[in-house]
Amino acid sequence: MTPEEILSSADRARGNVEGIEWNIDIESIEGEHTQHRSMMVKARGYNCLAEFISPPKVKGRKLLMIDRNMWFVKPGLRKPVPISPRQKLMGGAANGDIASTNYAGDYQPTSVSDDTVNGEACYLLDLKAINKKATYDRIKYWISKKRLVGVKSDFFTVSGKRFKSATFEYNNSIMISGTPRPFVSKMVITDAVITNNVTAMTYGEVTLKEIPDSTFNLNLLMR
Amino acid sequence: MSVFFACIQLWTACTLASALPSGQGSEDNAGYSSLWDELSEGFDYSLRFLTFGTYQAVADSTQNPDNDFLQIPRYMADLDLRPDAILSFRRLDVSIKPRMNLRWSAWENGTRKGDEEWEDDWFINEWLARMRVARGLFVSYGRENLQWGPAFLYSPSNPFFLDNGRSNPKREVPGMDFARIVWLPGMEWTISFIGNTDKGRQEFISGDFKEAYGFKLDYSGQQGYAGLILSRNEVERDRFGAFGGCTATDAFLLYTDFAFCRGSDVLYPVEDDTSPFGASMQAVDEQSSSLKGALLVGGSYTFLAGPTLTVEYLYHGFGYNDDQADYFYRLRRDASDAYGGPLWDLSRMTLGQTADPGLRFLRRNYGMLQYNHNDIKNLLNLTFRWTQNLDDGSGQFISIVDCLMGDHTQLFFIGTVNFGNGNTEFGTIVDSQWMIGLEYTF
Repeated sequence: MTPEEILSSADRARGNVEGIEWNIDIESIEGEHTQHRSMMVKARGYNCLAEFISPPKVKGRKLLMIDRNMWFVKPGLRKPVPISPRQKLMGGAANGDIASTNYAGDYQPTSVSDDTVNGEACYLLDLKAINKKATYDRIKYWISKKRLVGVKSDFFTVSGKRFKSATFEYNNSIMISGTPRPFVSKMVITDAVITNNVTAMTYGEVTLKEIPDSTFNLNLLMR
Repeated sequence: MSVFFACIQLWTACTLASALPSGQGSEDNAGYSSLWDELSEGFDYSLRFLTFGTYQAVADSTQNPDNDFLQIPRYMADLDLRPDAILSFRRLDVSIKPRMNLRWSAWENGTRKGDEEWEDDWFINEWLARMRVARGLFVSYGRENLQWGPAFLYSPSNPFFLDNGRSNPKREVPGMDFARIVWLPGMEWTISFIGNTDKGRQEFISGDFKEAYGFKLDYSGQQGYAGLILSRNEVERDRFGAFGGCTATDAFLLYTDFAFCRGSDVLYPVEDDTSPFGASMQAVDEQSSSLKGALLVGGSYTFLAGPTLTVEYLYHGFGYNDDQADYFYRLRRDASDAYGGPLWDLSRMTLGQTADPGLRFLRRNYGMLQYNHNDIKNLLNLTFRWTQNLDDGSGQFISIVDCLMGDHTQLFFIGTVNFGNGNTEFGTIVDSQWMIGLEYTF
């Protein structure tokens, strides 16, 4: 397999499918403060609508992503606010982190080597952003050789400084063309500087379903 | 135009009727064991309870002589109940936002000095019934706060609303009545026909509400998004508006919002020999064929540490130039001097017109700088916004602070400080306004 094929395969386990719905529970620990949020996410290709469902103080807030264009909608404030993928979603998670992963489209593998993560043999891909819309400038991405899913990543700034890391679990499963495929169930993001700042995103049971165009239309969002 | 509105309303009524339960086997109710399950699944609600206190320092200006004309209270205490309910049932979406406001006000200056007052207001700020009549085709009618465009300061492309609700996120923009047909020919394009049929809860101090209808074309693609709006009101004034933006990098957004039209309903101060003040406010461009417009350009940058800086510049061609502004303040001073005298009625009418000449901003050139940082330590949201009137030198500073306390409660603080003397835009109404409150969501 070429590095690009390995990357595309890993992408498919993190949302790059047609029509999917899941719940994401986010737990963020920053210092002594812990926050929980749950959202329902509908995604199709690189379009995504995330609606906060708890806690009550954020219920009804929506995040609409049409490719890399993003809007935030708050109940009572009808005008959608355009936001950038880099803007913080919660804790260490950026808005771009809940969108379908398109590393194969946004990044170019500059080198491939062998490594292990928790005893599992992995390809270690060094990824460089090929367009300015990518959420991160450079990523080191460990992809399991056996399962072809990303298990760990380090994210770097333009200046080359590592600023956060993430690990992934794949206990969900989806059927594609009659074949079960592993699908992301948890992403844990750790701040590189303040290592006790941790954000865990748990992906609930994934449902494949047809998502119409109208779901991703700003004119039709019920607010 | 009325035929258009009648057709929309008839169509909406017919299609709403077609959403009623029609027996088993419909593709729209697949997967539900009973009608009740289907309704329960499609129903959602939230209930917000807000209580807040407001302190206002009234400005010393000719717009509001001795605080008798605007009668601005020094203190206010509000209690708001804001339930929102949504039902999605097969092809039908229905939402309703009833509101209850209980307010205590107290005056410390002007003719109402020492007065206290209790008011209660029960109303529906927004409601909507929307039907999917075919794949990608939607018809709706309701009371909406219809907002679009990326700008914070002002959205010139919106011919229906002057206020985009950004200056105080706790105060809801009053809804107006709209009929809409929305067609999605594909993922990237949206075509809307919009009819603004009634003023709803909007208030117009000096002008009258005018029915209007518009055609809106939206594009949303990988590189960015754009919208184009052609509208006409009942006095056949045409307006062209557009907005657009792009995600230039993962952190950098660029956008614009503009509009132009022939003539306008804006009131301008003009020499008037028939007026005892020697001048009056008149819609001099009502029949004009000359083009006037407004253009906003802006951009925002998000730093890795989290804060977002936003900068906007607005050229507001509908506003007053220096000569018109001088004339405006002279007329307002004369009307203010005559307030309470034999020309009281004329004075009141003139001050009503100067308070609301039909402009979102009074002058022509504005700049805005905003700092926003959310989720600081999972606890704090901060927004600081400076708006500068580049023509008269006055400015406005707005700070919005949200403190998240537990799963249900937010403590909020909104402070507005205006800089400029009584003959400047921001120095006219209040010197400062401070609002502190608690929002509880059930």
